[in-house]
Formats: sequence, C-alpha cells, structure tokens
Amino acid sequence: MIEVENLTKRFPTQLAVSDVSFSVKEGEIVGFLGPNGAGKTTAMRVLTGFLPPTSGTARVAGYDVVTRSEQARASLGYLPESAALYPEMRVREYLAYRARLEGVRGAEVARRVREAIDNCLLEEVADRKVENLSKGFRQRTALAGALVHRPPVLVLDEPTVGLDPMQIIKIRETIRLLGRERAVLLSTHILPEVDAVCDRVLIIDRGSIVAEGTAAELRSRLAGAPVVRASFAGQIEARDTLAGLPGVTSVSETSADGETRVRLECAARADPREEVFRTAVARGWILRELVLESVSLEDVFVRLTRHEEIAPAPAPSEDTVGEAAGEAPEEIPS
Amino acid sequence: MRKFLAIVGREWRAYFFSPLAYVILAAFLLMNGMIFAAIVSFLNTPGAPKGQALPFLFTNTYFWIFNLFVVPIITMRLFAEERKSGTIETLLTSPVSETTVVLGKFTGALGFFLTLWAPTLVYVLILRSQTPIDLGPVAAGYLAIALIGAYFLSIGTFASTLTKNQIVAAILAFAMLIPVFSAGLLESLSNDPGKRDTLGYLNLWDHMEEFSRGVVDTRRVVYYLSATAFFLFLTTVTLSAKKETP
Repeated sequence: MIEVENLTKRFPTQLAVSDVSFSVKEGEIVGFLGPNGAGKTTAMRVLTGFLPPTSGTARVAGYDVVTRSEQARASLGYLPESAALYPEMRVREYLAYRARLEGVRGAEVARRVREAIDNCLLEEVADRKVENLSKGFRQRTALAGALVHRPPVLVLDEPTVGLDPMQIIKIRETIRLLGRERAVLLSTHILPEVDAVCDRVLIIDRGSIVAEGTAAELRSRLAGAPVVRASFAGQIEARDTLAGLPGVTSVSETSADGETRVRLECAARADPREEVFRTAVARGWILRELVLESVSLEDVFVRLTRHEEIAPAPAPSEDTVGEAAGEAPEEIPS
Repeated sequence: MRKFLAIVGREWRAYFFSPLAYVILAAFLLMNGMIFAAIVSFLNTPGAPKGQALPFLFTNTYFWIFNLFVVPIITMRLFAEERKSGTIETLLTSPVSETTVVLGKFTGALGFFLTLWAPTLVYVLILRSQTPIDLGPVAAGYLAIALIGAYFLSIGTFASTLTKNQIVAAILAFAMLIPVFSAGLLESLSNDPGKRDTLGYLNLWDHMEEFSRGVVDTRRVVYYLSATAFFLFLTTVTLSAKKETP
C-alpha cells in the first residue's frame, strides 16, 4: 500500500532524506524509528504530498504522490507531528469538517464522525471546544481526524506523544486494531512503542535507513556479543581467573561496599554462566548475582544511531582486561 | 464543490469565534450609523433634493479608509494562521486542490465582508419608508461594494500566504492596497490625456461615484474581476511554492 523507492529530499541547507526505499503492505504496521531530526517527519511529509520529493518515487495505494497526488491523498489519513487543530471548533464539528474535506457525503458524515469518536475514545469531550481540551484529548482528536474517512493507508507521526500511560495503551490498541485491514506507518522515538505495536521496524538515522526487520530480528542480528554480569561477596581477585574461561573475551571488574562486580564480554552465542558458577564454587567465592544480559531494542537503537561525538567516555573506576571495554564499540555495518 | 463549501463554511464561521470580528462589526456599524445620521439630517433640511442623499452612503472618505484598514484585518489570518499553527499540513494533505483551498478561504472572507454590510440594508429600508428611493443606484452601489471588496480581499489573501505572522500579513496587504487605491487618484494631477485615461481606468473613487449614481460600467466590472482572479492565481502559485519550505 505504501511503496517508496530511492526517495531523496534535499533542503537548501541540508539533506533530510537520502535514498530511502521501503514498503508497507496491507494489514501491516511499520514503525519508523529514529532519533529526533533523523528525517522521519520529512519522509512522511513527502509521502503525504505535503512536500515534493527531490528525487525518487513514492506511491500510496498505487498512486504516485506527485503525479496522482489527489488520489494518493484521498487514500491516506495523516496525523502530522504538530497534531494541529482549529482551537475554536468543537470536536464533533472538526471531525465533520475533516470528513467533508475528505469527500464523505451527506448522512454518512455523521456516521463516520460517531465511529471516529468511538475509536479514539472522545465521547466525553465530543461537544467541547478544542482549545479547552487537554493535550491528550487534542492528540486523540487529531488522530480521529486522520481516520474519520476510513483511509486504507495511515501515516501517523508520533501518535502517542503527550498522552498519559493509560491513554497510550488505549491508543496503541486502537492502532493495532486499525492496522488489521490497513497499512500503517507510524513514527516514534519511543522504543517500547515499536515492541508494543509494530510488525516491522525501519530504523532511520541522518536521512538513511540503517536497519530494517522485525524487532526480534533486529535484536538477534544486531545484538553483538553476549554479556554476563556477576557479583561476589567480599573483595576478591576474580578477573584473571574468569578471563581464562572458554568463550570469555574480556572482563572488567569493580569492587565497592564489600562486593566485587564483574562484567564478562563473551564470544558470539557463548554462555559461560555455568563455568562461572563452578569456578566460584571451586574457589569458595560467594556468588550473589549471575545474569546473562538480554539485548534490548534500546541497545540496538543506540548502537545504530550513536555517533562518535556522543559516544560515552569510559568509566574512570573501571579496571579493564583484554579489549578496552569502555572504548566506543566499532560501527555496526548497516 | 462540497469540499469547497466545507472550507467556505469553516472560514466564515471562524470569524465569529474571534473577538476581532465583533470589534470590526461594531466599528463598522458605528461608522455607518454616523453616516446614516448625517444623511437623515441632510434630508431634514428644508428643500433637500429627494433621493440625492443615499449615494453618500457609498462614496464618503470613511468608506475608503474603512476598507483599506479592515480588509487586511479580515484576510490576515487566512493562511498565516494555518501556517503558524500547523493546520495547513492537514489541509494541504487532504484530497483538495490548492485552487479549491484558495477559493474557499477567499469566499469565506468575502462572505464575512458582505456580512458586515448586510445590516446597512436596514438603513435603506428605513429611508424608503420615509422618502421615495430609486433602488437602481442602491443595487449598483452594493454591487460595487461586493466587487471592490472582492478585489481588495484577493490582495489580502495573497499577502496572507507570504508570511506566518498575521500582523506582517496585514501590513503587507495594507502596503499593497494603498498604491492600488491611490494610483487612480493621481488622475487629477496629470495633464497628459493618455495618462489620465489609464489612471481613470484605475480610479476606484470615481468608479464608486459612478456606481452610486446607478451607472454600471462593464469596464469597471471587468477590471475588478480580472484583478481579483489575478491575485487569487498568485495566491495559488505562492501556496504551492511555499510547500518547499514549510
């Protein structure tokens, strides 16, 4: 339903989107993930026909957004980042206006407005003026405006921004429900949102897509080396012993408050936890904690979008063996 | 057409949600009330020629001052407000052509402008109940108000696409309206017949006097309509060009 090929958008002073290609199928919810300023909003604005592309093509429901712009726009519902509304209008009135602009006619207008109000949980504020609504209700009114004409394609720029946790859960449910029979592209920089809502993720950074896949795929593909954390009671010298265990590539050790903490970086797919336990037993170390760190989407995201200048400095108290653990990790090839 | 009407309706109603509309309406009615009082007192002087006073409603200095100031205030919000708040994004990504958006907003503003004038019809009815009135010149006068109003409003609509700042939009519109209005006034300063002809073609003040005497000259009508169309065209072009730099 959404097909983007080699899309580039250049502004006079910067390259906002650079040679981006992706597609979103019917019944699929795709998350557009990236740090602020990565080009998410610009890409969406091109897709919705608000900005013309510099080069490349984008099609919505089969219509080119440049040459068949009006048909393309008729097929999509767009929630812009600003979620801007007319403050003087009442919610019901605004939704009816949006429905008419989208070409909904006659008695159907009232039916669609009621449906959108139900979908976005706006019943209690339906007859209030937008200017008197909280941020959360405004956001939901804007979302309702994007879906009032039942478009087959939804483009949502940060749909849950400004909502409280309960509202976020409800809106995500709504989006998931809508995504069953539509193509949904939603942008976010909130990582749990991707896990909660999206079937697939596109990670965009500095105008380019740096990774694509399901959240699970990205995790396993980009997880990097497994890490095991352990802590022992008392002040002990565990470093050299643990560094000798099979599969361990580097060890860092810190001691404080009568406790020694070690962090083992391991070879791919290695799990030295049992060896660590046996060694502790053999040496008489009292093991307090032993964990294989799971890689979160946050880690994937940070690794992909971290730029050298913001790489964290090594912790000064850390005493390191093997590869310097505090150094900036090597660039993940995209 | 339905989409066009949806935009017209929203724009027209939006005026009445802002206090500005009521301030303008009040000032306008105060001004016209004073003029009407002057007309009535003129008619009350013994020997006043019957039916001669009403054109004064359309051809006094206040009429022009008012139009020059009020039109920019009516049009300043049309695009500047939407660009500032961001609602322009949802509007332009709706399946509505830019021409429809421009015409819809312009028509909404024209509707508000005509709404300002509507109460003055009461004056005509009051006068008519007291003294015979030739309705022809009155109709011509109102036609001229609508046409010149449309012309000025199209310039204001254009100015509103040039900036996100409503005040700047109003000042730009005012700066464009002054030469449009005053060019024709230079007619009396020129001795060259060719120049006088050209300037006379643009002399809105004299046109208004003609209309209020009941003379509907098609040259004037063509001038206003084509100038209106030209500025609305410019508005559409600017709106498309502005898409490049949101």
